[in-house]
Amino acid sequence: MSLAVSSETPELELRRVTKRYPGVVANDDVSLSVRSGEIHAIVGENGAGKSTLMSILYGLVSPDEGEILVRGDLVEFRSTLDAIDAGLGMVHQEFKLFPTMTVAENVVYGHEPRSGWLIDRNLANNQVAELAEGYGLGVDPLATVEDLRVGVLQRVEILKALYRDARVLILDEPTAVLTPQERDSLFEVLRRLRDDGRTIIFITHKLNEVMALSDRVTVLRRGQVVLRVNTAGTSPGQLSTAMTGRSVDTSVRPADHDSGEALLCVNSLSIDDSNGIRRVRDVSFEVAAGEIVGIAAVAGSGQSELVEAIVGLRRPTEGSVALAGNDLAGHGVSGHRAAGISFIPENRHRVGSAGSATTSENLLMGYQWQPRFHKAGWLRRKVVAQHADELIKSYDIKVSGPNQKVGELSGGNLQKVVVARELAHETSILVAEQPTRGVDVGAIEFIHAQLVAQRDADRGVLLISAELWEILALSTRILVMFEGQIVAELDPTMTNEAEIGLYMTGAHTQWVDAETLGT
Amino acid sequence: MDQSQTSRSTQSSSLERWLGAATSPAVSALVLSFLICAVIILLSGENPIRAYGELWSGATTGAGPRTVINRGIPIVAMALAISIPFRSGIINLGGEGQFVLGGFAAAVVAINLDAPGPLVIFVSFLVAAIVGAVWGLLPAVGQTWLRLPILISSLLLNTPARALASYLTKNYFADPAATSTSTEALPASTRIPTISWLSGASASALGVAVLVAAIYAFNRRTAPGYQSHISGINLKFSEYGGVGVSRQTILSMGSGGAIAGMAGAHMILGQSGRFVDYDLVGTGFAWTGLLVALLALHRAIPILAAGLFFAALQVGGLAMQRNTGVSWQLAQVLQAVVILALAMQIAPRLWRRRSSADVASHDTDEYGSATG
Repeated sequence: MSLAVSSETPELELRRVTKRYPGVVANDDVSLSVRSGEIHAIVGENGAGKSTLMSILYGLVSPDEGEILVRGDLVEFRSTLDAIDAGLGMVHQEFKLFPTMTVAENVVYGHEPRSGWLIDRNLANNQVAELAEGYGLGVDPLATVEDLRVGVLQRVEILKALYRDARVLILDEPTAVLTPQERDSLFEVLRRLRDDGRTIIFITHKLNEVMALSDRVTVLRRGQVVLRVNTAGTSPGQLSTAMTGRSVDTSVRPADHDSGEALLCVNSLSIDDSNGIRRVRDVSFEVAAGEIVGIAAVAGSGQSELVEAIVGLRRPTEGSVALAGNDLAGHGVSGHRAAGISFIPENRHRVGSAGSATTSENLLMGYQWQPRFHKAGWLRRKVVAQHADELIKSYDIKVSGPNQKVGELSGGNLQKVVVARELAHETSILVAEQPTRGVDVGAIEFIHAQLVAQRDADRGVLLISAELWEILALSTRILVMFEGQIVAELDPTMTNEAEIGLYMTGAHTQWVDAETLGT
Repeated sequence: MDQSQTSRSTQSSSLERWLGAATSPAVSALVLSFLICAVIILLSGENPIRAYGELWSGATTGAGPRTVINRGIPIVAMALAISIPFRSGIINLGGEGQFVLGGFAAAVVAINLDAPGPLVIFVSFLVAAIVGAVWGLLPAVGQTWLRLPILISSLLLNTPARALASYLTKNYFADPAATSTSTEALPASTRIPTISWLSGASASALGVAVLVAAIYAFNRRTAPGYQSHISGINLKFSEYGGVGVSRQTILSMGSGGAIAGMAGAHMILGQSGRFVDYDLVGTGFAWTGLLVALLALHRAIPILAAGLFFAALQVGGLAMQRNTGVSWQLAQVLQAVVILALAMQIAPRLWRRRSSADVASHDTDEYGSATG
């Protein structure tokens, strides 16, 4: 097969790979060629087949048709172990680490250096330290994983792959959890790895990152390759048209009238977690009718706890949440919902849906006790079904029917289910936590339009996002949180990503008097 | 469902293809189990066809149907009792304790309450339900107030339940004339009548039928039934939707306990006629019910079918032992093989469905909260 392995032989090649699932062709005759020593971006909308392709590459699923070649040799991956043996390494979105063990222990796991019957800890620590230093990863091998920030955890995952001597590193949406600063230094590391001769496959749908980092791009749409280009020879516009099959407008129309009266009032809210650690300190702000208030913060800055208190999932330690002048203390989620707060949660799988329940059942949640849906506790099944049909239609949710289980839906479609459910009842306040995380350009456009429509209908929106461009594009006002406090209030027209990033990471503090916020 | 079925058949094992008739997982599991046990019977030097013939006629002829229904009553009732909390994601292993205490309480009421028979029966069941509910509520309260996992506390509470019933029987309610530790015999007027058109089985069968219908309707048609279904899939989603999870835990553990208590009452008023120490534990009905509930995936109608099937296996197994050299234990082996085969059929199907759903949603999975 491989008589002459020339420098032109691709590091990794897929030839005419097809993978079918019941009712869908996830990969349709996909060919992919990744050169040795390049950063190759794979982009596509949700459901375009990126993840299936990745699972095939990493031996998690076997294709129905087609071939995989590594450095010119035909291979068959029966499991991920075969893929690892062939020199492939994967950095998943979900980090697979043992939290109570050290970095070095996590990195060498499964390939521990031994002296006799025992693990040679010193050697392991030295090897990991050397590896980290060599690529400028800046990770302490003796640190315990649970103490580390997300950005560092990702580096540990990269180290794990490098320790197994991966020649090809596959990264799945690696920047979703990073701050702008962390993202930039990740890119540095990836470039260094490429210059060292390793090959990087970078899966994303953020086109600015593709442009900044990659050498070549493969675009997938509906399971097929629709574009292969050198990054230098393309533009974000061309890529986004290829991804969606149409041109996308992500700009947002500004509000045409001023904000109205205050709807949501958060007063001196402080929250301790179950270990007694203060997560939110004395936070006060208001959300008025007709405005979108953006909260920018690095993950773990207290914004999740703040959101949970606002929607009633968590009792505040001090302070109160009030809607239209009514204190909601002690009302629980159902009370908050009934008062008029709807909520798009950050994690649509863990919190926002029940995977093996039907679309119709998922669309009902939270409103099953509304009089229109029940009579003395008996569900009005016709009304429930009608409600589901209406939402599926008006939000263009792509399902086989209201009885399809939502676990089978693509991410963008599932997010539409969540958004449709939360917007259907026209509540006065919408809390949207990372509403476009991990969804494609088309869905982002759609969700942004929905948030703007809420604003224009004189309802209030509280938007929490780590995507600064999103915060900048949508917000009427921006609040920045750092270590549980609001450290800045910014006007989106007067600031930029760099400035927000500095407040988010605590480098700057604009001590705002709580009294002046929210007006 | 159809989709997963077809996707299965394309990759089914050669054994399944050989079986050919495998139209549903349950049927193929049954066929497979009977084949495996046939081999075991052959190895023990008996004729499997004759043994299965005896098994069949033992369950379907003569006293068979009546015995099957009478055995099915407590098995199905216990499975229903356990399925209520199970369906909302609560693993309740305390059925045995609720069953025993319910039976004991019913016996005490029936012996001591001087009133017309039907009224005594009614009060006995009521008290048994209350006692069972209280015993079921202890772990529920422990979980909601003290964060003691129900899985552990409910299991541990079985021992004190047995001991309490035993102690009270021995010291306060013992029948001095009896050879074993037991209460006095119940007055004849407090015994549950039998129904001639139901092969002479206990009238409690009607109660179980009503219960199956009620739980089916509750699960499928009511808002609380919907909530408990969702809680069983994703508790966090339920909380997010405003379901009062503590309240749900209390109510489902309480109602499950009440049904288990009434199943115990039936054992006394409908079958044995007195509370004999350890008898209810010895039947193993609480645990057979647990298995039935698991195999039926906590759904009411399949619980009825599976419960009666297991009862038939046990009854037929006794006949098989009487009339052939095959021992009754083989019926238990058969029962175990059926459970394993069904579990093997059902579990991979669920697992596969979940994993294909995972692949479909992988594109966008964001697990940030776990690492943030």
